[in-house]
Amino acid sequence: MLRYILKRLLIMIVTLWIIITVTFVLMISIPGSPFNSEGSSNATVQANLEKHYNLNEPYHIQYLLYLKSIVTLDLGPSIKQPNQTVNDLLGRGFPISFELGIITVAVAIVSGITLGIIAALRHNGIIDYLAMGLAVLGISIPNFILATLLIQKIAVDWELLPVATWSSPAHMILPILALATGPMAIIARLTRSTMLEVLTQDYIKMARAKGLSPWKITIKHALRNALMPVVTIMGTLLASILTGTFVIEKIFAIPGMGKYFVESINQRDYPVIMGTTVFYSAFLIFMLFLVDIAYGILDPRIKVHKRGGE
Amino acid sequence: MKKFLVFLLTAFAVFILAACTANEDAVEEPTEEAPPTDEGTETETEKEAGEKVLHLNNTIEPTSLNPSIGFDAVSWDPLNNLMEGLTRLDQDSVAAAGTAEDWDISKDGLTYTFHLREDAYWSNGDPVVAEDFVYAWKLMLDPATTPPSPAAFLAYFIKGAEAFNNGEGTAEDVAITAVDEKTFEVVLAAPTGFFLDLLTNPAFFPINHKVAEENPSWHAEAASFVANGPFKLESWEHNSEMLFTKNPEYWDADAVKLDKIHFAMVNDDNTQYQMFQSGELDTATIPAELSDQLIDGDNVYIGNAGGLEFYRFNVNEEPFQNKKIRQAFALAANRQDIADFVVKNGVEPAFAFISPGFTSPTGEDFRGVNGELVAYDPEQAKQLLEEGMTEEGYDTLPPIVLSYNTTDTNKAVAETLQNMFSENLDVDVTLENQEWNVFSDAQKNLELQFSRSSFINDYNDPVNFLESFITDSYMNRTGWSNAEYDALIVKGKTETDEEKRWENLYEAEKLLADEMIIMPIRYYNTVVLEADGVSGILRHPVGYFDLKYAEKQ
Repeated sequence: MLRYILKRLLIMIVTLWIIITVTFVLMISIPGSPFNSEGSSNATVQANLEKHYNLNEPYHIQYLLYLKSIVTLDLGPSIKQPNQTVNDLLGRGFPISFELGIITVAVAIVSGITLGIIAALRHNGIIDYLAMGLAVLGISIPNFILATLLIQKIAVDWELLPVATWSSPAHMILPILALATGPMAIIARLTRSTMLEVLTQDYIKMARAKGLSPWKITIKHALRNALMPVVTIMGTLLASILTGTFVIEKIFAIPGMGKYFVESINQRDYPVIMGTTVFYSAFLIFMLFLVDIAYGILDPRIKVHKRGGE
Repeated sequence: MKKFLVFLLTAFAVFILAACTANEDAVEEPTEEAPPTDEGTETETEKEAGEKVLHLNNTIEPTSLNPSIGFDAVSWDPLNNLMEGLTRLDQDSVAAAGTAEDWDISKDGLTYTFHLREDAYWSNGDPVVAEDFVYAWKLMLDPATTPPSPAAFLAYFIKGAEAFNNGEGTAEDVAITAVDEKTFEVVLAAPTGFFLDLLTNPAFFPINHKVAEENPSWHAEAASFVANGPFKLESWEHNSEMLFTKNPEYWDADAVKLDKIHFAMVNDDNTQYQMFQSGELDTATIPAELSDQLIDGDNVYIGNAGGLEFYRFNVNEEPFQNKKIRQAFALAANRQDIADFVVKNGVEPAFAFISPGFTSPTGEDFRGVNGELVAYDPEQAKQLLEEGMTEEGYDTLPPIVLSYNTTDTNKAVAETLQNMFSENLDVDVTLENQEWNVFSDAQKNLELQFSRSSFINDYNDPVNFLESFITDSYMNRTGWSNAEYDALIVKGKTETDEEKRWENLYEAEKLLADEMIIMPIRYYNTVVLEADGVSGILRHPVGYFDLKYAEKQ
């Protein structure tokens, strides 16, 4: 197992290095500069700024500077927010995105799996149709439309909850609802289809024949096997939701880190582009690693650490 | 049995959902409740009910509250209420006494001696002294400041300033001196009639040098921020909110009516409007799609914004080397229609370059004196195009590409122009849109033939805009160079007789219209929804909003 983890770690570092290099090449190949503001400016002022941020250095020097900053984990100040370092931005934004994300994922998993199981057990019944109808709606309505709708109805028209910002538990309900609906629907559909498949397997019939309680059959024998596809999508889902979502954070004015993924590129805020890319990649790679470990636990037939060893 | 199972699972799901929300409360309450108590509510708790708190939206986090570093409205709108320069724009948007009580100007118009108020104090109790201005301005001009100021060029009117900023001179050569604690002297490179107005710009605000020398990042957090304006920074949760409270140390604190100002940071047009609807914000902008419905309401403030949207002709690219062809395109655009039916939101069409709201030394409006210079005249446009084509020997016009940076409004305007050129000139132009940064680079490098642009004034004088088009100016971006125009601008900047100085500016604008280097579209305006009971917010055509006299009933 230790050997497997070490090997994975090494691959992770190489992957990260490739991602950093590709990001750097893409970053310098898009035209523009962080100082192209719509206001007035002047050549001297522009030159001073470029010099300060090393943008007048040859590309290989800039590349080495970025590599150094990443290795030392000090990404320096953001160009667009000179009072905050990239570490500050991520350090402030990530916990908020994480908080929103983890609750969202919990809500999505619990309600999605529940909905999926109910639908599978009541296959082709009213409840199944209702649950799957709901799931189709959840998948097809983009979350920003749902968000605007929720704000207009619940916050503005009925005045039950505040409109936006991230300042109290009441402020969290609407963004969580808006964000959780999509993943919930995907999980519900996945669970339903794999549950249906598993429920027809011989070992389930066997379990029934042995007179096990339906509860035990569903949870212990069927669900455990039906969860594999759900676990598969969990890695990417967690990584993308936990690191913040641009649209939902913008609509609800949540100070998470989602906006930096998009805005840093629009603004050519190079250190922030680097920082968010590296952070997200490392996080995603780590999540996929966790998923691989989870496979082994859920399904004893998969033995991650034996492969390649002997 | 199955029924029971379904029931059980449903009950379980409901319970988990409820638990999640309940859990949120449990976990969040202590941390979320903490900030208000942290924020020093000692005095507030007693008179919570009678407190006047104005709720505004700053859209995003200020770039920087270090005066000369944050060079944008999201930094300078709040900063204008935390600090005060030597002069401050009054209710008529004229530069009046601020931290300086009065001043003497030498006969040659070069030396300004400011006398600071005896009762001007920082929020930490230190007196505001001349050294605070020297420190702040040298920080702005120093190319080695971390980071260098993007606004430094605004101070080039001061003797020695440009040389220090471009590395040729030293800090000692900048002609600003603290004569004594309350006397501050500035020597200019050339007479500058609008210098007092320029000083209202936040780039020229003082910095408490004692605080800054000890802690260079004093401006980054509320705890270390020292203000000398009507309000002080009580708390600042980055990327989330700011709270201002009335500054009792401010010399004119009696005039300040609000107790607190809360700035949210909501960067979504619809959301901020919905927050306004639900009473969470006291002012809001009008989302584009609701403009028709809301623009005529009683609670809408509409004012000049001292800016112009225009299109640049690139004189290095055919066919725009020809003046008549440029004029033809300008005359073929129906600006009134663009303003009324495309941009909407109460904007005014631009029949010239300088927006209304600049008052001349004789008390007239610049726009009123110079009148309309670019009309809508399809007949004449057609004729000019033919003449121009004959002059250049064109049988058919070279292909024309009209470029703009990608936004919904820009697209609508560009498509309308395309239509108007096709209808009035029989010319088919191709549209091309690019992301802002790509577009901006291409425009600077003169790679675009006919492209959209905008200008927002930094200070309250027509020369601010007109100066853009002198030879080799960084803002020129048309390839145009005209010795007569350059001479007019030099006189328009340095002439000591104000009336004569303005004569040059009138001439310069006329020349610009005759040469038709840029084609005006519309003037910018400020449109704000204000909640009932909100009054007294000063929104100057040029400058940043002022909440000193703001009131909330």
